[in-house]
Formats: sequence, structure tokens, C-alpha cells
Amino acid sequence: MKTKSLYPYYLIWPALFIYCIFFVLPALIGLFYSFTDWRLDRETLKFIGLDNFQQIFSDKTLVLALKNTFIFAIVTVIGKNVLGIALAIGLNMRLKSKNLLRAIFYSPSILSVLVISIVFTPMLRTDGTINKFLEAIGLGVIGQSWLTDPTIVIWTVALVSIWQHTGFQMAIYLAGLQSISKEYYEAATIDGAGAWSTFSKITLPLLLPAININLMLTLIGGLKVFSEVFVLTGGGPGNASQVVGTIILRSFGEGSWGMGTAINTLLFAAVTVISIPLLIFMRRKEVAE
Amino acid sequence: MSYTRKLALRNYIVEIFLLVASLIIIVPLLIMIFGSFMTSSEVLRFKLALPDKWMFSNYTQVFKEGGLGRAFLNGLLITGVSSIVNIITSSAAAFILVRRESKLSSFLYMFFFMGLIAPMSIITTIRVVQWLGFYGSITSVIFIYAALNVAFSVFLYSGFIKSIPRALDEVAFLEGASMLAVFFRIITPLIVPVNATVAIMVFMSVWNDITIPLYFLTDSSDWTMPLSVYNFYGKYSRDWNLIFADLVMTSIPVLVLYLFAQKYIVSGLTAGAVKG
Repeated sequence: MKTKSLYPYYLIWPALFIYCIFFVLPALIGLFYSFTDWRLDRETLKFIGLDNFQQIFSDKTLVLALKNTFIFAIVTVIGKNVLGIALAIGLNMRLKSKNLLRAIFYSPSILSVLVISIVFTPMLRTDGTINKFLEAIGLGVIGQSWLTDPTIVIWTVALVSIWQHTGFQMAIYLAGLQSISKEYYEAATIDGAGAWSTFSKITLPLLLPAININLMLTLIGGLKVFSEVFVLTGGGPGNASQVVGTIILRSFGEGSWGMGTAINTLLFAAVTVISIPLLIFMRRKEVAE
Repeated sequence: MSYTRKLALRNYIVEIFLLVASLIIIVPLLIMIFGSFMTSSEVLRFKLALPDKWMFSNYTQVFKEGGLGRAFLNGLLITGVSSIVNIITSSAAAFILVRRESKLSSFLYMFFFMGLIAPMSIITTIRVVQWLGFYGSITSVIFIYAALNVAFSVFLYSGFIKSIPRALDEVAFLEGASMLAVFFRIITPLIVPVNATVAIMVFMSVWNDITIPLYFLTDSSDWTMPLSVYNFYGKYSRDWNLIFADLVMTSIPVLVLYLFAQKYIVSGLTAGAVKG
């Protein structure tokens, strides 16, 4: 008991204070306002129960925005992690240029999403660099109207995000790989294990902590997507690439604040419902290894 | 073929494949960099090519017309102060959370951890900042960034502080050192590498962000570089050479930071994310 009092709680207060005032309090207030008809142009508030949420699910654009948010999250989680592990394994080998290659693959992730999105905007046009390149190597058939075809636009945005951020996931996987003892691999080689069984029986299980943190980071980041869509498409063409983040900006601009906070509450609920069980499930697997 | 030769061959194949794959990353970045030195008609091909004539004047023009000097200083102020506030408060909090093994401390850890998961509630944050009377100011943005990064920082610090033996601070306590003395004279020097990691992570995410300035900096003279760039992009949508020069300039500060602090990113990720 005595050692505990040596660590007084007051050192937590500054962080807790800032965190509560500027993060937790707005979230709680948001929960309250999402059941009201709060508007910019009106001072009076009325409780409207679940009306906002009902409206969200009956509005085609809002349903599409929710769907797009999930597509973006799932595609980027898979893309960033599969490619991230593959790159990390490759760059963990004894290659002459590994330091240079690591720096190259990591470099886009330190830049602003804004910078990358603007760079890709002209290249993704129908007559842009990417389609011209595909034509030049004889793959013209897979050329697309990347940003103007409503059926694929959210996928394009996800691909740009994968292009930019896979290097960050790679760095975490590399750190994970380097903490695995070489002895396991030596033992596997002596036992005559093939590449696939070494990967699935040694690398993958021992990489679990890194996989967990990366899945969480990419999933949560994916559900909160905003800047990529905002800069690349502005939610267009039409409303084809709207996501929750851009819809909130729109409802803020229109002054329908109750609606905006309701959408945010819905996002909060979705993120929590998906990520907490996932977190608990993976923690358990990790311990079992 | 012997085993080692097979291994060497495999490494060559992997290396060649990765070198080719790295072009996918390099080419768009080079199109931007070379394009920033081209004339406005030359750049419109968006092809990978060296500029006919190196137009360094693009940069001076952008710097003047884009108001980048001011935006650079705003960004430096916002990023610097919010990183420092975040480092001091989060490391102190993480230290206590790790050392006290009570129900309250594990509850508080989860409470902070929720910040990694929960999306920020922007519209009501504006409301709170209005109540406090500083909506639209740089101060509000500094506090918001400090708050947004508490979760990730506490998480990284906790992972690292767990690996510092308790015995170290207990000896100091026995010698009569106060809590603050233990924290600043024993723990702080030991967590310098994590401080560097957190500083870099917070700096990069704050410097690169456009969301918070978009909602919270109502006066364009307070804007940070990326938001000024976004505005410039809207205005000069035809002059891609100038847009590219603008993009390169807003990227230079983080690139410089990255070059100096590279090793801390990796060591911090290992300590915090992988082992933590």
C-alpha cells in the first residue's frame, strides 16, 4: 500500500483535463444533441428521439456514405496489411538495397494526405498518366475513368490511400519481424520446412502483436476517412464517393448540426461495435501463442 | 544447386522485384518534383521527364502569392506547442498509470485508450470551444491537437515505461527523492527515445492535417501550410507547376524532420506498438 501512494494521481490530471474537455466532453454532448433537431438558425431545441437516425437510413445518399465508408475501410485494411507484410518480409531479407528500399516505401506516409491526393488528381484522369501508362504496356483494357465513374470511385480513393500508407504498416511489421529470434528459422530449416509452412507456422503467429496493432490502426483510420475523399473527389461525382466524414462537413455547412452529430454518433457506435470485440479476440489469440 | 546459392538467387529475384515495385512509389513523387520546376504548359503532360529549363522562379512566386511564410510560422507554432503539451502531459500520465496497479488506473488506461477508437465529434467540439470563448483561435487548435493525440501517446509511453524496472524509482524514493524529482531526474532521461518518437509522430500528423484548420481556423491569416496549399490549389487550378512547387514546399519540413529522426520512428514503433 505504501509504494502506491508514492505515485500520486495528480500527475495524470493535466492529460486527463485536456482529453476530457476537448475530446470526451464533445463526444458526450454529441450523444445528447444527436437526439435533437439542433440547427444553426434556431435557438430552441427539441427532443426528437430517434428521428435523426430514421432519417439517416431513409436517405439514399447517407446510406451510400455509410456503405462507402465500410468499403473504404475493408479495402484499405486488406490492402495495407497484405502488402505491408509482403514488403516487410522482402525487406527483412539480406538485400543490398534494403535500406534505400525501406526509405522509398516509407516516404509517402510522412507526407500530407493533401499532397498525395493533389498529385494523383491529374494522373487519375481518363486521359491521365496512369491510363496512358497502362496503354503503353498493353494493359489498356484495365484503364478506367478512375475518379469520374461512380461505380469505382471509392475504390480509387482506397487505392490511393493504400499507395500512400502501406509503408507505415510495413515499418511496424519490420519492427515485429526483427523481434523474432533467428533460432526459430534455423530450427525450421533443419527440420526441412518449406517457405509456406515457415511463414504460416513461425512468422505469422509470432507477428501477431504487430498484426493486431496494424489491423486496429488501419480499421479505425479507414472508418474515420475524410481528407482523401475531400481532396480527391469532394464526395463526387454526384454523391458517389461520399463518406461519413464528408457528410459531416456537409451537414455542418448546411447548419443541420443535430443531424451531423447523429451521423457522428452512428460512426462512433459502428467503430466501437467492430473494434472492441476484434481487439478482445486478438488479445486472446496473442496470449494463447 | 547448393542451398546457399539457391538462397542467393532467391534474394536477387526478390531484390529485382522490389526495385521495380519501388518505381510505383518513386514515379508520382518525381513527376511532382520535376513538374514543380517546369513551365505551366510543359507540366501539363504529367509525364516523368526532366524540365527543359529549371524554373526556380516557380518557388519564389508561390512563396509570395501563396502566403506561405505566414502559414509556415503558424504551422510551426501550432505543431510545436501542441507536441510539447502532449509530450509532457501524456508521459506523466502514462508513468502513473503503469506504476499504480489499481482498478482505477486500469480503468483510466482504458478510458484513454478509447480515444484511439472513438472518432472526434467535430461539431460539438466547436460548441465547447465557443463556450470557452476562443473559437477560431490558434490556441483552440493547439489544445484540440494535444487532446486528439493523448490516446496514442499514452499508449506508446505505457509500452515503454513498463520495460523500465520499478526498482529504479523505488531506490530513489528510499533516498528521499520527491515524486517530481523521480519523474524528471530518473524517468524523463530514460524515455528520451519515446519522447522523440511521440514528438515526431505528433509533429507529422499535426503538420500534415487539414481537417482541424478547416473547421477551427476561421481567419485565413491563421492557416497552416497544407490548408494554404489547398486554397492555392483551388485558385490556381491551371498552373500545375505552381501547385507542385507549393506541394513540395509544404512537404520539406516533415522530410527534414524525418531525415534527422528516422531511427527514433523505428525504435519507438518497436517499443510501443510491437512489444507494448
